[in-house]
Amino acid sequence: MKNAQKLRAGALVTTAALVLTGCLGTSSEGGGGGDGQDPIRIGISLPLTGDFSEPGKGVRRGYDAWAEYVNSNGGLLGRQVELTILDDQSNADRVAADYEKLINQDGVDLVFGPFSTRLVVPAAQVAEDYGFLFVEPAGAAEEVFTQGFENLFYAAPAVADDHYNHLAEKIISMPANQRPKTAAYAAMDDPFAQGTAYGLKDKLEEAGIRTVVDEVYPPNTTDFGSIAAKIADSRADIVVGGTQYQDAVNLIVALRQLNYQPKLAAFSTAPTNPEFPEAIGKQTEGILSPTGYTPEAAFPTNREFVDFYTKLNGNPPGEDEANAWTTGQVVAAAVEAVGCADPEPECQGKLVDWLRNNEVDTVVGPLSWDEAGRPQSAHLIQQYVDGKIRIVLPEDSKEADFIYPKPKW
Amino acid sequence: MTASLTLQSLVLGVLLGGLYALLAAGLTLYFGVMRVVMIAHSALLILAAYIAWFFERQTGLDPLLSLVITVPLFFVAGVVMQRLLIARLRPATLTMMSVLLTFSIALLIEGLLGFVFTGTHRRIQLPYSGTHFEFFGASIAVVKLIAFGLAAASLAALYVLLKTTRFGQALRATIQHPDAARLVGINTDRVAGYGFGLGLATAAIGGTALSLDSTIYPSLHWHWIGPLMAIIVVGGLGSIPGAAIAAMALGLSQSLLQIPLGTTWAQTLFYVALFATLMLRPQGFFGGRLAQRF
Repeated sequence: MKNAQKLRAGALVTTAALVLTGCLGTSSEGGGGGDGQDPIRIGISLPLTGDFSEPGKGVRRGYDAWAEYVNSNGGLLGRQVELTILDDQSNADRVAADYEKLINQDGVDLVFGPFSTRLVVPAAQVAEDYGFLFVEPAGAAEEVFTQGFENLFYAAPAVADDHYNHLAEKIISMPANQRPKTAAYAAMDDPFAQGTAYGLKDKLEEAGIRTVVDEVYPPNTTDFGSIAAKIADSRADIVVGGTQYQDAVNLIVALRQLNYQPKLAAFSTAPTNPEFPEAIGKQTEGILSPTGYTPEAAFPTNREFVDFYTKLNGNPPGEDEANAWTTGQVVAAAVEAVGCADPEPECQGKLVDWLRNNEVDTVVGPLSWDEAGRPQSAHLIQQYVDGKIRIVLPEDSKEADFIYPKPKW
Repeated sequence: MTASLTLQSLVLGVLLGGLYALLAAGLTLYFGVMRVVMIAHSALLILAAYIAWFFERQTGLDPLLSLVITVPLFFVAGVVMQRLLIARLRPATLTMMSVLLTFSIALLIEGLLGFVFTGTHRRIQLPYSGTHFEFFGASIAVVKLIAFGLAAASLAALYVLLKTTRFGQALRATIQHPDAARLVGINTDRVAGYGFGLGLATAAIGGTALSLDSTIYPSLHWHWIGPLMAIIVVGGLGSIPGAAIAAMALGLSQSLLQIPLGTTWAQTLFYVALFATLMLRPQGFFGGRLAQRF
């Protein structure tokens, strides 16, 4: 009896497997053709559900908008583009399997990267194995660039360590009597957040600005009273936070409660969040933050992007959407220049070589890369001026003047 | 480590300990009354915090006024939850199964909060959120002091209720020996329901206190449940004064240890205390053996 059941179950599984492989077989045959007028098929896996679903959906909106824009403007190399987007459920095993499937079974012509360091690394490994060009919209942590990937390019202005470069230059160039002498750093134990704060720390220390507090806290920290007490007690001239969101907000309130008034306060990520002024109120004045993208930026293609995206979605794009669009722009520039878009190693190799040696104009500014795929620009620095977040650095893109020292909070 | 920093940390530690005591009070009550491990307690705290935030946003009134709504609402919800869900678990496996049941309630609350209010981090913007006054060179934030006051007042009220009223006696009798309590004519089912409601009412107060000085988001409760569980085990399961003393001791030591050790190691204090308690004195340092005494 038992054996009969096992046999039946086994037969069922085999049939199912046959049916499934049969289906996949036909679909890949249907899509893999290569005469000039077929659409260019681009394979992407994104975290549409799970931990990273919010930013994952943002990236998707950016990719979709880009494809629509390209298609309504005559396509790439005269061919329409077609996106195949899979959901990796924010799962690192799944994302590798997805790219494997896209390249092997679906026979896509090009791939775009997924969201976040944790998913970019396994996905990039698959692309590398198949010799595919891999441009990715997110994954700024150093570990992305130390894996020895040769086909990877990060489509954003700067890696985490370089986010504050414009601010570092500004501080170091101040006259000696105004220049801050001591600095306090608090950073979340997270490769991205810590990278931003420590990138600035290294540069300021080199210029002789003494570090008086250097706190690292785990991501689940919610009480910042003690960290704030240490910073307040040090009376540091400036405070820098390597933060995500709630940690920055809680730390700022805790610092205010201890009446600590620094001459400059910079936090990564949080201040650019629309919820930030809702939480902090009027005391945002003078707070600084690096930003990879703002719809106000005056780069040549940005206006067109913002208008097209806003018409399509009813609201202006955010950083995730912009980075996805940038990814599209970067790949498109290589494809147009080289004149091919197919999965053959020869074509993919040419695309990689072209990007290695050229600069691409994008909505986040002109981008070029080093051998590991690190972009060579820096983030814009924004500051709350008269209650609004404005670009203050670098000088040639500024919307408002840099405020120093910071008003009391 | 300067004297002023030590004093400041001491002040912050006392205020933090008070908040911990309030947040843990309900948790120890559920266990005392019913042997229920209530994983959903911290989720209910966050729910109350969200209600306070939503109340402030819709009406513009002080979030403390939302207590008028949340305390009775949570009390009734607690009674209903006990009568409809917890009471149906088999007594033999109650403690174990209550973990599963309340875990699912926690997930449900988190999911609903995410669905209704999205995952965006929220914070009530109070005109007095940064207001503070000096105390021998240390600053005391008004919001933290309010939370501490709420904690002190509710714990005192709970203590008086349990020690002096007939209901309190009945509840303590139910905690100490349910069979004997039934023999002397106490309706232990009803008393247990009210006891559970009382626990949820403290969650309403705790969540509102929490909302004054923290940024909230649906999954925040996972950060709280571990430390709170550690507090009630160290304090002695079921003992409210024990939980309060343990909360104060752990809050103070966490705040003071953070100066030499940093945040990461200071957080492990709760688990070190938990292991030490289980090894040396499994019934907890301040309570009786599994809450046989109050």
